[in-house]
Amino acid sequence: MKTDSLDTELIALIDRIALADEKALRALYDLTSSKLYGVAVRVVSNREWAEDVLQEAFITIWRIAGDYKATLSPPLAWLGLVVRSRGLDFLRRRASGRADRMQALDDVISDTVAGDSPNPMDTAQASEQALALHQCLSQLDNKQREVVSLAYMRDMSHGELAQQLKLPLGTVKTWIRRGLEQLRGCMAKLA
Amino acid sequence: MNVIQNPALVEQLAASYALGTLRGGARRRFEQLARAHAHVRAAALIWQSRLACVAELQPQAAPSAAVWKRIENLVNAEKQARAMQAARTPVPVSPSRWWAKLNLWRSLAAAGTMAAVVGGVVGTHLSAVNQGLGAQVAGLDGQIKALTTQLAAAALAPNIQYVAVLADNNAVASVLVTFDQKNQKLVLKRVGSFQEQADQSLQLWALPTTGGPQSLGVLGSDAVVRLTAAGSDVRQVPTLAISLEPKGGVPSIGGPTGPVLFKGALLETAL
Repeated sequence: MKTDSLDTELIALIDRIALADEKALRALYDLTSSKLYGVAVRVVSNREWAEDVLQEAFITIWRIAGDYKATLSPPLAWLGLVVRSRGLDFLRRRASGRADRMQALDDVISDTVAGDSPNPMDTAQASEQALALHQCLSQLDNKQREVVSLAYMRDMSHGELAQQLKLPLGTVKTWIRRGLEQLRGCMAKLA
Repeated sequence: MNVIQNPALVEQLAASYALGTLRGGARRRFEQLARAHAHVRAAALIWQSRLACVAELQPQAAPSAAVWKRIENLVNAEKQARAMQAARTPVPVSPSRWWAKLNLWRSLAAAGTMAAVVGGVVGTHLSAVNQGLGAQVAGLDGQIKALTTQLAAAALAPNIQYVAVLADNNAVASVLVTFDQKNQKLVLKRVGSFQEQADQSLQLWALPTTGGPQSLGVLGSDAVVRLTAAGSDVRQVPTLAISLEPKGGVPSIGGPTGPVLFKGALLETAL
């Protein structure tokens, strides 16, 4: 399978990066930067900041590649977690000293939650587990999917989501609870 | 405890935990349960790994080319810092005399500057280890050649046998030193932006392997300074340093009294 060989390639590159091989870092960047930049954009909602986040994430990867082996995660999921956590750090740093903790949501997200247009998901390079998640997320309605995905990517609480999306707190809680329940049923069948 | 016997509830809590919406006291209680019960812990880990895939499903976007350039620069700087740290010799040093501490940067200078400068003078390409210094040295390479030519023009074909690049604490090259043994001339060329105050002078020191620093002379304020030195003062000296002193240099015979601004390894060159 195509994804398997990509995973194998990514794992080999991460192993080489752990041995301070810069060429491997470049190769990893070439293979994953578009995907990971997409993650960064999603977390911080600003293309320029997302570039800073991507840069920090690759420096982090350069430093901690040796830790990857212990995680048992698919490589792209692990890389995605590094980017997400650098992105959340970025937002926290930026927000310290400001009243509004969260960066305003971008138009695509607001539109998705307000209307019914789906925020596109992208399955290129997705691992098997990600494909399963994609299939299950696709069964949620757009709003539920967006709120669940947003809660995760931005590490937002029910209250923050309600405030940002201008929805009643109860609505947000219900969407998330139902969304997770549906995901559970769906993922259990696929596993 | 009812929670742990209720699989649906465990799943629900594990999912909210992994999603991040389980907060405050509820989150802490769930963490306690997970530490105590393997199946709760397993449920949390499964949900964490499921949701981690959300990141994989985000639409792609192309970052600007500058991002890789920045990453590359940072990685190179870090690599160089590591290499320099590895080159440090664990020689115990006395804190009372500053030149005792020079062992440290002697090895730094030896590891960092030597390969690069020798490479530059001999005309071979620069060692890949010294990429950071590479650009500076490339510039200095031209200056060394220019100096060599100048000296060659000054009649008696000079026989430059030693060269040193003295750098500041940030490894920025500041003074270029050549020693022409045959004519017993030290030529110093300022290549950095440092300019001492009117009531101060820079003083050049040889740092032999044994004994304290030996003064080689006080620099004037010109861009190029020529000093006379016996070969015996310069040969066998691994390192040169420049300290900031009162106008006219250290008045007594003792060692430097001011801070060391620049230092570097003295290298024998094959011309």
